[in-house]
Amino acid sequence: MTTAHDALHAPAHDHAHEEHHVSFVQRWFYATNHKDIGTLYLWFAFSMFITGGIMALCIRAELFQPGLQFWQPDFFNQLTTLHGVIMVFGAIMPAFTGLANWMLPLMIGAPDMAFARMNNWSFWLLPPAAALLLISFFVPGGAAAGGWTLYPPLSIQAGMGMDLAIFAIHLLGLSSIMGSINIVTTVLNMRAPGMTMLKMPLFGWTMLITAYLLIAVAPVLAGAVTMLLTDRHFDTHFFKAIGGGDPVLFQHIFWFFGHPEVYIMALPAFGIVSQIIPTFARKPLFGYVSMVYATCSIAILSFMVWGHHMFAVGMPASTQLFFMFLTMLIAVPTGVKVFNWIATMWQGSMTFETPMLFSIGFVCLFTIGGFSGLILAIAPVDTQMQDTYYVVAHFHYVLVAGALFTLFAATYYWLPKWTGNMYHEGRGQFHFWWSMVWFNVTFFPMHFLGLAGMPRRIPDYALQFTDFNAIASIGAFCFGLGQIFFLFNVIHTIRGGVGKAPAKPWEGANTLEWEVPSPAPHHTWETPPSLEMVEKGLKAQGLLGDHHE
Amino acid sequence: MQSTLQQANRKLAIRMMVIACLMFGFGYAMVPFYGALCKAMGIDRANSDFANTSAAVIRVEFDTNVDTGLAASLIALDPVLAAKPGGLLKARFRLINKSDQPLKVRAIPSYAPARAAGLLQKLECFCFDGLTLAANEQRDVMVVLLVANELPEELGAATLSYTLHPELKS
Repeated sequence: MTTAHDALHAPAHDHAHEEHHVSFVQRWFYATNHKDIGTLYLWFAFSMFITGGIMALCIRAELFQPGLQFWQPDFFNQLTTLHGVIMVFGAIMPAFTGLANWMLPLMIGAPDMAFARMNNWSFWLLPPAAALLLISFFVPGGAAAGGWTLYPPLSIQAGMGMDLAIFAIHLLGLSSIMGSINIVTTVLNMRAPGMTMLKMPLFGWTMLITAYLLIAVAPVLAGAVTMLLTDRHFDTHFFKAIGGGDPVLFQHIFWFFGHPEVYIMALPAFGIVSQIIPTFARKPLFGYVSMVYATCSIAILSFMVWGHHMFAVGMPASTQLFFMFLTMLIAVPTGVKVFNWIATMWQGSMTFETPMLFSIGFVCLFTIGGFSGLILAIAPVDTQMQDTYYVVAHFHYVLVAGALFTLFAATYYWLPKWTGNMYHEGRGQFHFWWSMVWFNVTFFPMHFLGLAGMPRRIPDYALQFTDFNAIASIGAFCFGLGQIFFLFNVIHTIRGGVGKAPAKPWEGANTLEWEVPSPAPHHTWETPPSLEMVEKGLKAQGLLGDHHE
Repeated sequence: MQSTLQQANRKLAIRMMVIACLMFGFGYAMVPFYGALCKAMGIDRANSDFANTSAAVIRVEFDTNVDTGLAASLIALDPVLAAKPGGLLKARFRLINKSDQPLKVRAIPSYAPARAAGLLQKLECFCFDGLTLAANEQRDVMVVLLVANELPEELGAATLSYTLHPELKS
C-alpha cells in the first residue's frame, strides 16, 4: 500500500511543477487529461441542465393557470422542444460521459482514456452544438417546435431553426460516438492486471454497455435527421407524402434510436447506484454477475421494443402484441436489479449520507417510473394515454428521479475525490429532501392530469386541469430553486468545504479510486496498481470468488 | 508494451468506427425494408399496387373561387382528373397575386358530396398552411389525394372546391 502510494505521489509531484507552467487556456482548451475533460463535461452538463431547467420553468409558468399568460403557442412549442433536446443531449448524456471520463480510468487502474486527443475533440464538439440550439431561438421562424422527437411533417415544414437543430444533433451524435469508442477501448484494453471483466466495478460495466448502445444507435439518428435534411432542402421524399414517402417511417427510425437512448440514460445510473449502495450498506453488491447479465439483457431488449412508442399509428394487432410483450419483458432484468439493490441493503450496516439518500431515492422513484412504464406498455391502455401528461409523468420519474438523482448521488459520492474537500453533509441532505419533496409535488400530479385526459405539449388547457397544474408549477419552481442550492454547495466544497477529505472518506468504499489521494492527482496509475492492491479491493467487494472465473 | 497497447486500441477503435458507419447505413436500409414489410403485411395504403383495378374509375373535378375583394386568382391547372380506387391523385393549381403588395392567403376546401371527404384523403395540400405571395407573384401548388380502396358504386364523380381567403391575423 505504502509502496503504491509512493509510486503515485512521485509523478503527481512532478506534474504539480509542470502545472505551474500551463496556462488556463492550455489546461482547459487543449485538455487531454481525463480528469480535466471529465470536469469540463460535468460543468458543461450542469450549465445545460440550468438552461434546460429555465425552459422547463418557462413552460410551468405558462401552465400555472389556464389561458395564455406569457408565451404564444408557437414559442411554447419551441420551449418544450428545446427543453427536451437540451436535457437529453446536453445535460444527462454529457454528465454521464463526464463521470465516465473522470472515474473510469481511476476505477479500473488505467492512466488515462485510450485516446486522449479524441477525448478533447469529443468534448469540444458540444459547446458549438449547444450554441446552435440556443441561437435557433433568434432565427426567422424560431427554434424547432415539433417536439424533441422531430416528427415530420412538422419538422419538414418548420423554419431554419430546424436546420440548426439537425446540425446540432449531428455534432452531438459525433461527439457521443467518439466518446463511446474511447470508453469501450479504455474498458476493454486498459484494465489493471488482475481485474478481469467479471471483476470490474459495475459502473465500468454499465458504461461499457451504454457506449456500445450509443455506437449502435447514434448513427441511426444521424441517418434519420440527414434524411429529414435532404427532404427539406434536396427534394428527396423519405418522409414526404407528396412524393410517396411515409412520415411513419421516420417514427420507426427515430424510435429505433430513441428507445435504446432511454437506456443510454438509465444504465449509467444503474452503475452509479450499484457503486454507492454497497458502500453505505457496508456489504458487497448482492448478485454481481446477475447485475451484469441484467444490464446486457436490458441493452439487447432495448433494441426490440421501439414500436411501443407508436402503438397509436395504426399497427397490426400482432405487431402491437409483439412490442407489448417484449416491453413487459424488460421489467424482468430491471426487477432483478431492484431486487439486488434491496438485497444489498438487507441487513447491511447502513448509514444515510447524501449519496446514499439520493441512491435510495432513485430506487424508490425509478420503481414508480418503471411501473407506470409497464402500464404504458399495455397497448390498449397506451392508446388511451398516448400524448397525455401521464406519459410526461412517467418519463420524468425515469429521467429526473432516475438519471438526475443518480448524477447528484455520484457528485456527492465522488466530490471529495475530485476536490479534496468534504462537502457540508447537512446541506447535502437538505438538497436531497428538498429535491425529493418538490420532485414529487411537480410530477406526481401529472399522473392524475394524464389520466383525466390532459394532452401534453399544449400552452392552454381546460379548466378542470387547473388545480393539479398549479401544484405542479409550484413544485417545479421550488425544485428548480433547490438546484441553485446544489450549485452553491458544490462551489463551497471546491473552495474548501468543511475540511480536507481523506483518500477514502467512505468506510465501505473498496474500488480502486479510493486508493489514490484526495484530490486525485493530475496523473494517476501511470504505474498500474499492483496485483495485491487490486485483489484486496476485489476481496472486499466479494468479487474474488471461484464463481467469477 | 506501450505500442502493443496502442495498436490494440487503434484496432478496436477502427472496428467500432466500422460498426458506426454500418449503423448509419442501416438507417437508410430501413427505408426499402420498411417498404417491403408494409407491402408484405398489406398495410401500405398509399401503394397503388393494392388498388382494386377492376373497380370503376372516379371522376374528380376541381373548382376554384376567390373571396370578394381579394386581388388574387386561383386556377385549377387540372380541372378534371380520373383515378382508380386505391390510387393517388395529383392536381396542380396556379396562385396569382394581382396586387403590388405582398398577400397572405389561405385556401379553404370543401367537398361535394360531403361524404367524398372521407373517400378522398388529402396527403399533401397547399391548403394546410397559410401562404404568403410576394407582389405580383405567380406560384404553382399541388394537392395529393389518396382515393379509398372501396368506393360506393353510385359515387361516379366528386367535386373538390377551394376558396381563397385573406389569411386572418393571429
